[in-house]
Amino acid sequence: MKKFLALLSVSALVLSMTACGGKEEKTFKVGFDAEYPPYGYMDENGEYTGFDLELAQGVCEINGWTYEAVPINWDSKDMELNSGNIDCIWNGFTINGREDDYTWSVPYVDNSQVIVCAENSGIASLADLEGKVVGVQAASAALDALNNDHADLVATFEDLQEFGDYNSAFVELQAGSIDAVAMDVGVANYQIKSRGEGFMVLEEAISVEQYGIGFKKGNDELKDEVEEALMKLVDDGTFAELAEKYEISDLVCLGN
Amino acid sequence: MSFGTMFLQMGAGMGKSLLIFALTLLFSMPLGMIVAFGRMSKNKIIQTAVKFYISVMRGTPLMLQLLVIFYGPYYLFGMNIGSRFAAVIVGFSLNYAAYFAEIYRSGIQSIPVGQYEAANVLGYSKTQTFMLIILPQVIKRILPAVTNEIITLVKDTSLAFAIAYQEMFTIGKQIAASQTSFLPFVIAGVFYYVMNLMVAFAMDKAEEKLSYYR
Repeated sequence: MKKFLALLSVSALVLSMTACGGKEEKTFKVGFDAEYPPYGYMDENGEYTGFDLELAQGVCEINGWTYEAVPINWDSKDMELNSGNIDCIWNGFTINGREDDYTWSVPYVDNSQVIVCAENSGIASLADLEGKVVGVQAASAALDALNNDHADLVATFEDLQEFGDYNSAFVELQAGSIDAVAMDVGVANYQIKSRGEGFMVLEEAISVEQYGIGFKKGNDELKDEVEEALMKLVDDGTFAELAEKYEISDLVCLGN
Repeated sequence: MSFGTMFLQMGAGMGKSLLIFALTLLFSMPLGMIVAFGRMSKNKIIQTAVKFYISVMRGTPLMLQLLVIFYGPYYLFGMNIGSRFAAVIVGFSLNYAAYFAEIYRSGIQSIPVGQYEAANVLGYSKTQTFMLIILPQVIKRILPAVTNEIITLVKDTSLAFAIAYQEMFTIGKQIAASQTSFLPFVIAGVFYYVMNLMVAFAMDKAEEKLSYYR
Protein backbone atom coordinates (compact mmCIF):
# COMPACT_ATOMS: atom_id res chain seq x y z
CA MET A 1 0.00 0.00 0.00
CA LYS A 2 2.78 2.38 0.99
CA LYS A 3 4.63 1.68 -2.23
CA PHE A 4 1.52 2.30 -4.22
CA LEU A 5 0.98 5.67 -2.51
CA ALA A 6 4.56 6.66 -3.11
CA LEU A 7 4.25 5.75 -6.76
CA LEU A 8 1.03 7.72 -6.98
CA SER A 9 2.55 10.84 -5.46
CA VAL A 10 5.63 10.63 -7.69
CA SER A 11 3.52 10.28 -10.80
CA ALA A 12 1.35 13.18 -9.65
CA LEU A 13 4.47 15.25 -9.17
CA VAL A 14 5.78 14.39 -12.62
CA LEU A 15 2.41 15.12 -14.15
CA SER A 16 2.15 18.52 -12.52
CA MET A 17 5.68 19.37 -13.62
CA THR A 18 4.99 18.55 -17.23
CA ALA A 19 1.76 20.49 -17.00
CA CYS A 20 3.72 23.54 -15.92
CA GLY A 21 6.50 23.19 -18.42
CA GLY A 22 4.29 22.27 -21.36
CA LYS A 23 2.86 25.62 -22.29
CA GLU A 24 3.90 28.87 -20.79
CA GLU A 25 0.93 31.04 -19.97
CA LYS A 26 1.37 34.52 -21.35
CA THR A 27 -0.03 37.47 -19.44
CA PHE A 28 -1.34 40.39 -21.46
CA LYS A 29 -1.12 43.53 -19.34
CA VAL A 30 -3.51 46.20 -20.57
CA GLY A 31 -2.68 49.69 -19.35
CA PHE A 32 -5.63 52.02 -18.95
CA ASP A 33 -6.85 55.11 -17.12
CA ALA A 34 -9.56 53.92 -14.73
CA GLU A 35 -11.16 57.36 -14.76
CA TYR A 36 -12.13 57.24 -18.41
CA PRO A 37 -15.66 55.90 -18.92
CA PRO A 38 -17.00 54.42 -21.15
CA TYR A 39 -13.64 53.07 -22.42
CA GLY A 40 -12.16 52.00 -19.11
CA TYR A 41 -13.60 52.49 -15.63
CA MET A 42 -14.73 50.81 -12.41
CA ASP A 43 -18.20 49.31 -12.66
CA GLU A 44 -20.93 48.82 -10.06
CA ASN A 45 -19.22 45.76 -8.61
CA GLY A 46 -15.82 47.36 -8.38
CA GLU A 47 -14.51 45.47 -11.42
CA TYR A 48 -12.58 47.28 -14.13
CA THR A 49 -14.57 47.28 -17.33
CA GLY A 50 -15.41 49.37 -20.38
CA PHE A 51 -15.54 49.05 -24.15
CA ASP A 52 -11.78 48.82 -24.57
CA LEU A 53 -11.23 46.48 -21.65
CA GLU A 54 -13.92 44.04 -22.80
CA LEU A 55 -12.30 44.00 -26.24
CA ALA A 56 -8.94 43.31 -24.62
CA GLN A 57 -10.51 40.47 -22.66
CA GLY A 58 -11.89 39.02 -25.89
CA VAL A 59 -8.47 39.24 -27.53
CA CYS A 60 -6.93 37.38 -24.58
CA GLU A 61 -9.54 34.62 -24.82
CA ILE A 62 -8.83 34.10 -28.51
CA ASN A 63 -5.06 34.05 -28.05
CA GLY A 64 -5.15 32.01 -24.84
CA TRP A 65 -3.46 34.73 -22.80
CA THR A 66 -4.11 35.62 -19.19
CA TYR A 67 -5.81 38.99 -19.13
CA GLU A 68 -4.61 41.58 -16.64
CA ALA A 69 -6.00 45.10 -16.39
CA VAL A 70 -3.41 47.51 -15.00
CA PRO A 71 -4.83 50.89 -13.99
CA ILE A 72 -2.19 53.56 -14.59
CA ASN A 73 -1.71 57.22 -13.91
CA TRP A 74 -2.29 58.75 -17.38
CA ASP A 75 0.59 61.20 -16.95
CA SER A 76 3.03 58.28 -16.56
CA LYS A 77 1.76 56.14 -19.46
CA ASP A 78 5.03 56.30 -21.42
CA MET A 79 7.10 55.28 -18.44
CA GLU A 80 4.71 52.40 -17.72
CA LEU A 81 4.90 51.19 -21.32
CA ASN A 82 8.65 51.61 -21.75
CA SER A 83 9.54 49.90 -18.50
CA GLY A 84 7.34 46.93 -19.38
CA ASN A 85 4.79 47.31 -16.58
CA ILE A 86 2.14 47.20 -19.29
CA ASP A 87 2.11 45.61 -22.76
CA CYS A 88 -0.07 48.22 -24.41
CA ILE A 89 -2.11 51.33 -23.82
CA TRP A 90 -5.69 50.50 -24.70
CA ASN A 91 -8.00 53.17 -23.44
CA GLY A 92 -9.44 55.62 -25.93
CA PHE A 93 -5.89 56.35 -27.00
CA THR A 94 -5.68 58.94 -29.76
CA ILE A 95 -3.33 58.15 -32.64
CA ASN A 96 -3.25 61.58 -34.25
CA GLY A 97 -0.24 63.61 -33.24
CA ARG A 98 1.41 60.55 -31.67
CA GLU A 99 1.89 58.55 -34.90
CA ASP A 100 5.65 58.20 -34.49
CA ASP A 101 5.73 57.65 -30.74
CA TYR A 102 4.16 54.20 -30.58
CA THR A 103 3.54 51.14 -32.72
CA TRP A 104 -0.16 51.46 -33.51
CA SER A 105 -2.90 48.97 -34.24
CA VAL A 106 -5.52 49.76 -36.87
CA PRO A 107 -7.82 52.58 -35.76
CA TYR A 108 -11.04 51.23 -34.27
CA VAL A 109 -12.93 54.36 -33.20
CA ASP A 110 -13.48 57.63 -35.06
CA ASN A 111 -13.38 60.14 -32.33
CA SER A 112 -13.70 63.88 -32.27
CA GLN A 113 -12.59 66.35 -29.66
CA VAL A 114 -15.49 68.59 -28.73
CA ILE A 115 -16.37 71.46 -26.43
CA VAL A 116 -18.95 70.90 -23.70
CA CYS A 117 -20.59 73.88 -22.05
CA ALA A 118 -23.67 74.71 -20.03
CA GLU A 119 -26.84 74.97 -22.14
CA ASN A 120 -27.59 78.46 -20.90
CA SER A 121 -24.05 79.78 -21.30
CA GLY A 122 -24.77 81.48 -24.62
CA ILE A 123 -21.79 79.76 -26.22
CA ALA A 124 -22.78 78.44 -29.64
CA SER A 125 -19.53 78.25 -31.57
CA LEU A 126 -15.80 78.07 -31.02
CA ALA A 127 -15.51 81.79 -31.63
CA ASP A 128 -17.79 82.45 -28.63
CA LEU A 129 -15.10 81.03 -26.36
CA GLU A 130 -13.22 84.31 -26.53
CA GLY A 131 -12.51 85.57 -23.02
CA LYS A 132 -13.76 82.35 -21.43
CA VAL A 133 -12.02 79.87 -19.15
CA VAL A 134 -11.73 76.46 -20.82
CA GLY A 135 -10.88 73.25 -19.01
CA VAL A 136 -9.04 70.26 -20.46
CA GLN A 137 -7.42 67.07 -19.16
CA ALA A 138 -3.66 67.24 -18.69
CA ALA A 139 -1.63 65.24 -21.26
CA SER A 140 -4.81 64.61 -23.29
CA ALA A 141 -5.42 64.64 -27.02
CA ALA A 142 -7.83 67.54 -26.54
CA LEU A 143 -5.03 69.59 -25.07
CA ASP A 144 -2.74 68.75 -28.00
CA ALA A 145 -5.47 69.59 -30.49
CA LEU A 146 -6.08 72.96 -28.86
CA ASN A 147 -2.41 73.88 -28.60
CA ASN A 148 -1.36 72.63 -32.03
CA ASP A 149 -4.33 73.30 -34.31
CA HIS A 150 -6.09 76.12 -32.49
CA ALA A 151 -3.29 78.21 -31.05
CA ASP A 152 -5.03 81.41 -32.27
CA LEU A 153 -8.27 80.40 -30.57
CA VAL A 154 -6.49 79.46 -27.35
CA ALA A 155 -4.84 82.87 -27.32
CA THR A 156 -8.30 84.46 -27.04
CA PHE A 157 -9.27 82.36 -23.98
CA GLU A 158 -9.03 84.00 -20.63
CA ASP A 159 -7.34 80.84 -19.43
CA LEU A 160 -6.79 77.22 -20.45
CA GLN A 161 -7.11 75.23 -17.23
CA GLU A 162 -5.66 71.72 -17.04
CA PHE A 163 -7.31 69.07 -14.87
CA GLY A 164 -6.19 65.62 -13.78
CA ASP A 165 -9.58 64.07 -14.51
CA TYR A 166 -12.88 65.01 -16.12
CA ASN A 167 -14.88 64.65 -12.94
CA SER A 168 -13.34 67.70 -11.33
CA ALA A 169 -13.52 69.62 -14.61
CA PHE A 170 -17.25 68.91 -14.81
CA VAL A 171 -17.84 69.93 -11.22
CA GLU A 172 -16.15 73.25 -11.93
CA LEU A 173 -18.25 73.63 -15.05
CA GLN A 174 -21.36 73.01 -12.98
CA ALA A 175 -20.17 75.46 -10.34
CA GLY A 176 -19.47 78.04 -13.05
CA SER A 177 -15.78 78.55 -12.29
CA ILE A 178 -14.95 77.44 -15.83
CA ASP A 179 -17.10 78.05 -18.92
CA ALA A 180 -16.37 75.04 -21.11
CA VAL A 181 -14.50 71.73 -21.16
CA ALA A 182 -12.70 70.23 -24.16
CA MET A 183 -12.88 66.42 -24.33
CA ASP A 184 -13.53 63.32 -26.41
CA VAL A 185 -17.06 63.08 -27.71
CA GLY A 186 -17.56 59.56 -26.27
CA VAL A 187 -16.57 60.70 -22.81
CA ALA A 188 -18.69 63.84 -23.18
CA ASN A 189 -21.76 61.76 -23.99
CA TYR A 190 -21.19 59.50 -20.98
CA GLN A 191 -20.73 62.46 -18.66
CA ILE A 192 -23.78 64.33 -19.94
CA LYS A 193 -25.93 61.21 -19.80
CA SER A 194 -25.04 60.43 -16.20
CA ARG A 195 -25.21 64.04 -15.03
CA GLY A 196 -28.54 64.85 -16.60
CA GLU A 197 -29.77 68.01 -18.29
CA GLY A 198 -28.06 71.34 -18.55
CA PHE A 199 -25.06 70.56 -20.75
CA MET A 200 -24.54 70.58 -24.46
CA VAL A 201 -21.87 69.66 -26.97
CA LEU A 202 -20.86 72.30 -29.52
CA GLU A 203 -21.53 71.10 -33.04
CA GLU A 204 -18.24 72.51 -34.24
CA ALA A 205 -15.55 69.97 -33.23
CA ILE A 206 -11.99 70.99 -32.38
CA SER A 207 -10.50 68.04 -34.20
CA VAL A 208 -11.35 64.72 -35.76
CA GLU A 209 -9.11 61.84 -34.87
CA GLN A 210 -8.90 58.09 -34.35
CA TYR A 211 -8.33 55.71 -31.47
CA GLY A 212 -5.88 52.87 -31.71
CA ILE A 213 -4.11 50.46 -29.41
CA GLY A 214 -0.65 51.78 -28.63
CA PHE A 215 2.28 49.38 -28.27
CA LYS A 216 5.88 50.09 -27.39
CA LYS A 217 7.64 51.37 -30.49
CA GLY A 218 8.93 48.42 -32.49
CA ASN A 219 6.79 45.77 -30.83
CA ASP A 220 5.14 44.76 -34.12
CA GLU A 221 4.91 41.10 -33.20
CA LEU A 222 2.54 41.69 -30.29
CA LYS A 223 0.65 44.29 -32.29
CA ASP A 224 0.02 41.78 -35.09
CA GLU A 225 -1.18 39.11 -32.68
CA VAL A 226 -3.59 41.50 -30.97
CA GLU A 227 -4.80 42.97 -34.24
CA GLU A 228 -5.51 39.55 -35.71
CA ALA A 229 -7.61 38.58 -32.68
CA LEU A 230 -9.35 41.96 -32.75
CA MET A 231 -10.35 41.35 -36.35
CA LYS A 232 -11.88 38.02 -35.32
CA LEU A 233 -13.97 39.88 -32.75
CA VAL A 234 -15.08 42.26 -35.50
CA ASP A 235 -16.00 39.38 -37.84
CA ASP A 236 -18.02 37.44 -35.29
CA GLY A 237 -20.00 40.52 -34.29
CA THR A 238 -18.66 40.84 -30.73
CA PHE A 239 -17.15 44.20 -31.58
CA ALA A 240 -20.47 45.65 -32.79
CA GLU A 241 -22.30 44.18 -29.78
CA LEU A 242 -19.89 45.83 -27.37
CA ALA A 243 -20.13 49.13 -29.22
CA GLU A 244 -23.90 48.97 -28.79
CA LYS A 245 -23.59 48.04 -25.11
CA TYR A 246 -21.43 51.09 -24.44
CA GLU A 247 -23.51 53.32 -26.75
CA ILE A 248 -20.70 54.28 -29.08
CA SER A 249 -22.01 52.50 -32.21
CA ASP A 250 -21.91 55.70 -34.23
CA LEU A 251 -18.23 56.18 -33.38
CA VAL A 252 -16.65 52.80 -34.08
CA CYS A 253 -15.00 52.42 -37.48
CA LEU A 254 -14.33 48.70 -37.83
CA GLY A 255 -16.68 46.23 -39.44
CA ASN A 256 -19.17 48.67 -40.97
CA MET B 1 -23.76 52.18 -7.12
CA SER B 2 -25.19 52.16 -3.61
CA PHE B 3 -23.41 53.75 -0.69
CA GLY B 4 -22.74 50.29 0.73
CA THR B 5 -20.99 48.99 -2.39
CA MET B 6 -19.03 52.19 -2.71
CA PHE B 7 -17.90 51.91 0.88
CA LEU B 8 -16.93 48.26 0.41
CA GLN B 9 -14.93 49.04 -2.74
CA MET B 10 -13.09 51.81 -0.96
CA GLY B 11 -12.66 49.54 2.06
CA ALA B 12 -10.26 47.36 0.08
CA GLY B 13 -8.26 50.50 -0.65
CA MET B 14 -8.40 51.55 2.99
CA GLY B 15 -6.64 48.32 3.92
CA LYS B 16 -3.86 49.23 1.48
CA SER B 17 -3.62 52.79 2.80
CA LEU B 18 -3.34 51.45 6.35
CA LEU B 19 -0.67 49.00 5.25
CA ILE B 20 1.40 51.81 3.71
CA PHE B 21 0.95 53.73 6.95
CA ALA B 22 1.94 50.87 9.25
CA LEU B 23 4.92 49.61 7.21
CA THR B 24 6.26 53.12 6.68
CA LEU B 25 6.25 53.72 10.44
CA LEU B 26 7.78 50.31 11.07
CA PHE B 27 10.72 50.98 8.74
CA SER B 28 11.21 54.73 8.93
CA MET B 29 11.25 55.14 12.72
CA PRO B 30 14.28 52.86 13.36
CA LEU B 31 15.93 54.00 10.13
CA GLY B 32 15.49 57.59 11.30
CA MET B 33 17.46 56.76 14.43
CA ILE B 34 20.37 55.48 12.36
CA VAL B 35 20.21 58.56 10.15
CA ALA B 36 20.13 60.80 13.22
CA PHE B 37 23.31 59.18 14.56
CA GLY B 38 24.94 59.60 11.16
CA ARG B 39 23.94 63.25 11.15
CA MET B 40 25.57 63.76 14.57
CA SER B 41 28.60 61.65 13.72
CA LYS B 42 32.03 63.16 14.37
CA ASN B 43 33.22 61.56 11.11
CA LYS B 44 32.98 64.39 8.58
CA ILE B 45 32.37 62.10 5.60
CA ILE B 46 29.45 60.29 7.19
CA GLN B 47 28.03 63.55 8.49
CA THR B 48 28.19 65.25 5.08
CA ALA B 49 26.70 62.25 3.28
CA VAL B 50 23.80 62.06 5.72
CA LYS B 51 23.28 65.81 5.54
CA PHE B 52 23.00 65.50 1.77
CA TYR B 53 20.55 62.60 2.08
CA ILE B 54 18.33 64.58 4.44
CA SER B 55 18.43 67.68 2.27
CA VAL B 56 17.41 65.74 -0.85
CA MET B 57 14.62 63.87 0.95
CA ARG B 58 13.22 67.04 2.48
CA GLY B 59 13.97 69.26 -0.48
CA THR B 60 12.12 67.32 -3.22
CA PRO B 61 8.46 66.30 -3.37
CA LEU B 62 7.64 62.80 -2.12
CA MET B 63 5.60 62.29 -5.29
CA LEU B 64 8.69 62.89 -7.41
CA GLN B 65 10.73 60.52 -5.23
CA LEU B 66 8.14 57.80 -5.79
CA LEU B 67 8.32 58.29 -9.57
CA VAL B 68 12.11 58.10 -9.48
CA ILE B 69 12.12 54.93 -7.38
CA PHE B 70 9.54 53.14 -9.51
CA TYR B 71 10.51 54.23 -13.03
CA GLY B 72 14.12 55.33 -12.42
CA PRO B 73 15.73 51.86 -12.38
CA TYR B 74 14.43 51.16 -15.87
CA TYR B 75 15.82 54.35 -17.37
CA LEU B 76 19.13 54.03 -15.52
CA PHE B 77 19.82 50.29 -15.61
CA GLY B 78 17.13 48.85 -17.85
CA MET B 79 15.59 46.87 -15.04
CA ASN B 80 12.03 46.90 -13.84
CA ILE B 81 11.08 46.94 -10.16
CA GLY B 82 7.70 45.45 -10.97
CA SER B 83 6.15 45.82 -7.55
CA ARG B 84 4.38 49.14 -7.09
CA PHE B 85 3.83 48.28 -3.46
CA ALA B 86 7.54 47.77 -2.77
CA ALA B 87 8.35 51.07 -4.48
CA VAL B 88 5.74 52.86 -2.36
CA ILE B 89 7.06 51.42 0.91
CA VAL B 90 10.71 52.13 0.04
CA GLY B 91 9.89 55.67 -1.08
CA PHE B 92 7.81 56.52 1.96
CA SER B 93 10.27 54.94 4.42
CA LEU B 94 13.31 56.74 3.00
CA ASN B 95 11.44 60.04 2.97
CA TYR B 96 9.99 59.79 6.46
CA ALA B 97 13.27 58.53 7.94
CA ALA B 98 14.82 61.90 7.03
CA TYR B 99 12.13 63.80 8.92
CA PHE B 100 12.22 61.47 11.91
CA ALA B 101 16.02 61.75 12.03
CA GLU B 102 15.84 65.50 12.46
CA ILE B 103 13.17 65.15 15.13
CA TYR B 104 15.33 62.63 17.02
CA ARG B 105 18.36 64.88 16.68
CA SER B 106 16.47 67.86 18.09
CA GLY B 107 15.50 65.72 21.09
CA ILE B 108 18.94 64.23 21.66
CA GLN B 109 20.74 67.54 21.39
CA SER B 110 18.33 69.22 23.79
CA ILE B 111 19.70 67.15 26.69
CA PRO B 112 22.35 69.18 28.60
CA VAL B 113 25.97 67.99 28.41
CA GLY B 114 26.10 67.96 32.20
CA GLN B 115 24.01 64.79 32.23
CA TYR B 116 26.60 62.94 30.13
CA GLU B 117 29.36 64.16 32.45
CA ALA B 118 27.44 63.10 35.54
CA ALA B 119 26.73 59.66 34.03
CA ASN B 120 30.41 59.30 33.18
CA VAL B 121 31.44 60.13 36.76
CA LEU B 122 28.94 57.57 38.07
CA GLY B 123 30.54 54.93 35.86
CA TYR B 124 27.86 54.48 33.20
CA SER B 125 29.11 53.25 29.82
CA LYS B 126 28.24 55.25 26.68
CA THR B 127 25.51 52.79 25.69
CA GLN B 128 24.08 52.71 29.19
CA THR B 129 24.07 56.49 29.36
CA PHE B 130 22.14 56.74 26.12
CA MET B 131 19.65 53.92 26.69
CA LEU B 132 18.94 54.51 30.40
CA ILE B 133 19.31 58.25 30.84
CA ILE B 134 19.11 60.14 27.54
CA LEU B 135 16.61 58.16 25.44
CA PRO B 136 13.72 58.15 27.96
CA GLN B 137 13.90 61.93 28.18
CA VAL B 138 14.23 62.28 24.42
CA ILE B 139 11.10 60.22 23.78
CA LYS B 140 9.09 62.44 26.09
CA ARG B 141 10.33 65.61 24.44
CA ILE B 142 9.83 64.60 20.82
CA LEU B 143 6.37 63.05 21.13
CA PRO B 144 4.43 66.13 19.95
CA ALA B 145 6.69 66.52 16.91
CA VAL B 146 6.40 62.80 16.13
CA THR B 147 2.60 63.04 16.38
CA ASN B 148 2.69 65.79 13.76
CA GLU B 149 4.72 63.60 11.45
CA ILE B 150 2.47 60.57 11.89
CA ILE B 151 -0.65 62.61 11.17
CA THR B 152 0.98 63.94 8.00
CA LEU B 153 1.83 60.37 7.01
CA VAL B 154 -1.83 59.30 7.21
CA LYS B 155 -2.73 61.96 4.66
CA ASP B 156 0.40 61.43 2.55
CA THR B 157 -0.55 57.80 1.83
CA SER B 158 -2.75 59.25 -0.92
CA LEU B 159 0.43 60.25 -2.81
CA ALA B 160 0.87 56.60 -3.81
CA PHE B 161 -1.50 57.43 -6.69
CA ALA B 162 1.53 58.90 -8.48
CA ILE B 163 2.69 55.39 -9.40
CA ALA B 164 -0.86 54.08 -9.72
CA TYR B 165 -0.83 52.05 -6.52
CA GLN B 166 -4.51 51.34 -5.86
CA GLU B 167 -4.83 52.78 -2.37
CA MET B 168 -8.06 54.25 -1.06
CA PHE B 169 -7.91 57.69 -2.62
CA THR B 170 -6.97 56.34 -6.06
CA ILE B 171 -9.96 53.98 -5.97
CA GLY B 172 -12.12 56.81 -4.67
CA LYS B 173 -11.20 58.93 -7.68
CA GLN B 174 -12.03 56.05 -10.04
CA ILE B 175 -15.45 55.55 -8.46
CA ALA B 176 -16.02 59.30 -8.54
CA ALA B 177 -15.27 59.28 -12.28
CA SER B 178 -17.50 56.37 -13.23
CA GLN B 179 -20.38 57.39 -10.95
CA THR B 180 -19.92 61.13 -11.63
CA SER B 181 -20.36 61.62 -7.92
CA PHE B 182 -18.55 63.40 -5.11
CA LEU B 183 -19.55 60.92 -2.44
CA PRO B 184 -16.24 58.96 -2.64
CA PHE B 185 -14.36 62.12 -1.68
CA VAL B 186 -16.61 62.57 1.34
CA ILE B 187 -15.94 58.97 2.36
CA ALA B 188 -12.20 59.53 1.87
CA GLY B 189 -12.27 62.70 3.95
CA VAL B 190 -14.11 60.98 6.79
CA PHE B 191 -11.66 58.07 6.68
CA TYR B 192 -8.58 60.29 6.95
CA TYR B 193 -10.17 62.36 9.71
CA VAL B 194 -11.25 59.38 11.81
CA MET B 195 -7.86 57.75 11.31
CA ASN B 196 -6.10 60.89 12.52
CA LEU B 197 -8.48 61.28 15.45
CA MET B 198 -7.36 57.84 16.57
CA VAL B 199 -3.69 58.71 16.05
CA ALA B 200 -4.07 61.94 18.04
CA PHE B 201 -5.94 60.12 20.80
CA ALA B 202 -3.32 57.39 21.10
CA MET B 203 -0.46 59.87 21.13
CA ASP B 204 -2.27 61.97 23.73
CA LYS B 205 -2.54 58.92 25.96
CA ALA B 206 1.14 58.17 25.44
CA GLU B 207 2.11 61.71 26.40
CA GLU B 208 -0.03 61.52 29.53
CA LYS B 209 1.55 58.25 30.50
CA LEU B 210 5.05 59.64 30.05
CA SER B 211 4.49 62.86 31.99
CA TYR B 212 5.23 61.15 35.31
CA TYR B 213 7.11 64.10 36.77
CA ARG B 214 4.27 66.59 36.34
